[in-house]
Amino acid sequence: MLVNILSFHNFLLKLRDSYHSFNQIIIPYRARSDDKNSFYFNEIKNEDHFRLNYYRTVDPVKILFYLFREKVYPTKNNHAKRIIIGVKACDLKALLLLDKALLQSGFIDPAYKYWRDNTLLISSDCDYLHETCSCNLLNGHPYAENGFDLNLSVIEDNYLIQLGSERSQEFIELMKKEINVAESTASDLEIVNANRKKVFNQLIEKNSDLKHHENFSAFRKVDHKIWEEVSKECVGCGACTNICPTCYCLILNDESKGNEFIKVRSYDSCQWNGYARVAGGGTPRPKMTERFRNRYLCKFDYMQKNFGEFGCTGCGRCTEACTAKIDFRKVVKTVSLMAQEVN
Amino acid sequence: MQNPYEVIPAEIYEIIQESPLIRTLKFKPKKPIPFKTGQFIEVGIPGIGEGPFTPSSSHYIVDDMDVTIMKTGFLTEHIHKLQVGDLICIRGPFGSNYPLEKFKGKDVLILGGGCGLAPLRSLFLTMLHDHKDYNSITFLAGAKTPKDCIYKDEVTEWRKYDNVRFIRAVDEVPYGEHWEEDVCLVTKLLQKIDMKPDGNPAIVCGPPVMMKFGTYDLLNYGFKEENLYLSMEKKMYCGFGQCRHCVIGGYYACKDGPVFTYSMIKNEEAIWD
Ligand SMILES: Cc1cc2nc3c(=O)[nH]c(=O)nc-3n(C[C@H](O)[C@H](O)[C@H](O)COP(=O)(O)OP(=O)(O)OC[C@H]3O[C@@H](n4cnc5c(N)ncnc54)[C@H](O)[C@@H]3O)c2cc1C
Ligand code: SF4
Ligand code: SF4
Ligand code: FES
Repeated sequence: MLVNILSFHNFLLKLRDSYHSFNQIIIPYRARSDDKNSFYFNEIKNEDHFRLNYYRTVDPVKILFYLFREKVYPTKNNHAKRIIIGVKACDLKALLLLDKALLQSGFIDPAYKYWRDNTLLISSDCDYLHETCSCNLLNGHPYAENGFDLNLSVIEDNYLIQLGSERSQEFIELMKKEINVAESTASDLEIVNANRKKVFNQLIEKNSDLKHHENFSAFRKVDHKIWEEVSKECVGCGACTNICPTCYCLILNDESKGNEFIKVRSYDSCQWNGYARVAGGGTPRPKMTERFRNRYLCKFDYMQKNFGEFGCTGCGRCTEACTAKIDFRKVVKTVSLMAQEVN
Repeated sequence: MQNPYEVIPAEIYEIIQESPLIRTLKFKPKKPIPFKTGQFIEVGIPGIGEGPFTPSSSHYIVDDMDVTIMKTGFLTEHIHKLQVGDLICIRGPFGSNYPLEKFKGKDVLILGGGCGLAPLRSLFLTMLHDHKDYNSITFLAGAKTPKDCIYKDEVTEWRKYDNVRFIRAVDEVPYGEHWEEDVCLVTKLLQKIDMKPDGNPAIVCGPPVMMKFGTYDLLNYGFKEENLYLSMEKKMYCGFGQCRHCVIGGYYACKDGPVFTYSMIKNEEAIWD
């Protein structure tokens, strides 16, 4: 399907204003006019300032599905639907990992399931790259291959729309009532594929110095001195884990009042000293270096064992957010070089 | 859809002060919580918090449960203030259990100390229920001083079975306290018991140092790594594999454990800390 970009944007605004089953539309905006490089998800506003073919937002889409603080018992029972538009391939990949952890592991996180069930996900290809983007180093691509309900690729003034799920039908029908929808042709697809290839090659080029070895299971054998070296600037703030789309470590709090039982979960960080402390004060990782190392082992070793995939999508957010300006990609590269030696 | 954070209220009907720091709560959940010995539950006080504890009662009893809890911090201090008639909240059961079917017909060794005796009492009572199914059961229990010994009132009963031995030791006997049984580290009792380790299971639970040295002593004694069952204590919030606090390498202590064989986790890091 092919739709005109401006008409599509107008359709979204109309969708927000008219009565229908989607009561919230969320889309990336530039944070401020003086900061052209940062995008944030926000509810759709009147001005048509959104651009969907940029790179990822500053915050991962995780924060809209797995809230910083959220009641898990009792749970919501309304079913207000929403649409999130402009989600990137790396964030979709992260959601699929969170699905494995929170929906498909034998137990279901009720709040996450609620958001997942009631959200239509519209992804869009990345035509521009952020300095920290490195999905290509982790088997990813700057365009979505699965995990979306609809995907948008820009072809000049149009979006090429691809359908990824049955759930997209309702949206498509609403759209067909409002705007002109043309059939796409094989040559449209060719243009999209050529563009995707071009951006992917730019990404490979950009990250050529950051390539690491695929020897993650040997990370834990790497000498602790190396870890001390790469972590020496780390202040242990936890910015990296909080902003990571695949980190989901939680603290559970009982906030019951009177006869009402209430359980609330909020983010925790393995970078914080109290994280794994047990009764009597013992903790398996008393040193910052050990906690720093734990994040890398969790992403590349433990999560691989738990879910059959890495806990890193290469989104680059941890590098961007790090107080100490530690480049995650460089650490992975350094450690993988060392792992090559011990293996 | 079952919400794993949903709690089952339970009323405390009896409290036994086992030692200055340890008490056993007996409670009746509003609906039965069937479990397999070795599994744990989350015990909470509304508005205060919850923590993982192992039922210390036999898994054949389903209408009510015991937990034996040591006072170590904020939550457990509150638990120690509870009185008969108070409500607690339970989630679970969670995690792996002791594989009793593998113990049948064997000479079973149980080794524990301090509050680690809680899951072991559950195991022991469950096994006593069909004690004829086991060739023999030897339970070595340790405490710091005679005052710290728990389950005092049950010892006579436990010593009535032909194929069951219950041997106790304290680390020291302070001046003025009375004690007629062994005085040594509980692991030293191994030297007294004359058992054939090969093929037989040993189950260990206790404070981290005891677990560590107990495990090494049992290995030296000849027990096989795959027959050594450890109940691992790690920081836990959710109890079902979603908060990641309890992760030991690629395993969750709450889901793959708390009962692990030593061979499963021996290559993981910081298992004793
Ligand atoms: C599988 C398992 C079974 C256990 N069984 C027993 C038992 O039968 N009897 C017993 O006395 N103790 C048991 N423990 C230890 C018990 O959970 C802790 O001692 C208790 O949670 C700490 O209470 P606190 O008052 O010191 O915690 P606080 O100081 O109140 O700490 C706050 C919270 O931290 C968490 N926490 C603190 N320490 C631990 C810890 N060691 N393990 C997990 N979470 C912790 C709890 O969620 C607790 O609510 C068990 C631990 C595990 C992991
Ligand atoms: S570890 Fe860093 S680069 Fe990887 S997914 Fe998390 S925030 Fe993104
Ligand atoms: S963001 Fe940087 S300084 Fe902060 S904990 Fe992570 S690596 Fe350390
Ligand atoms: S207790 Fe939450 S993952 Fe194990």
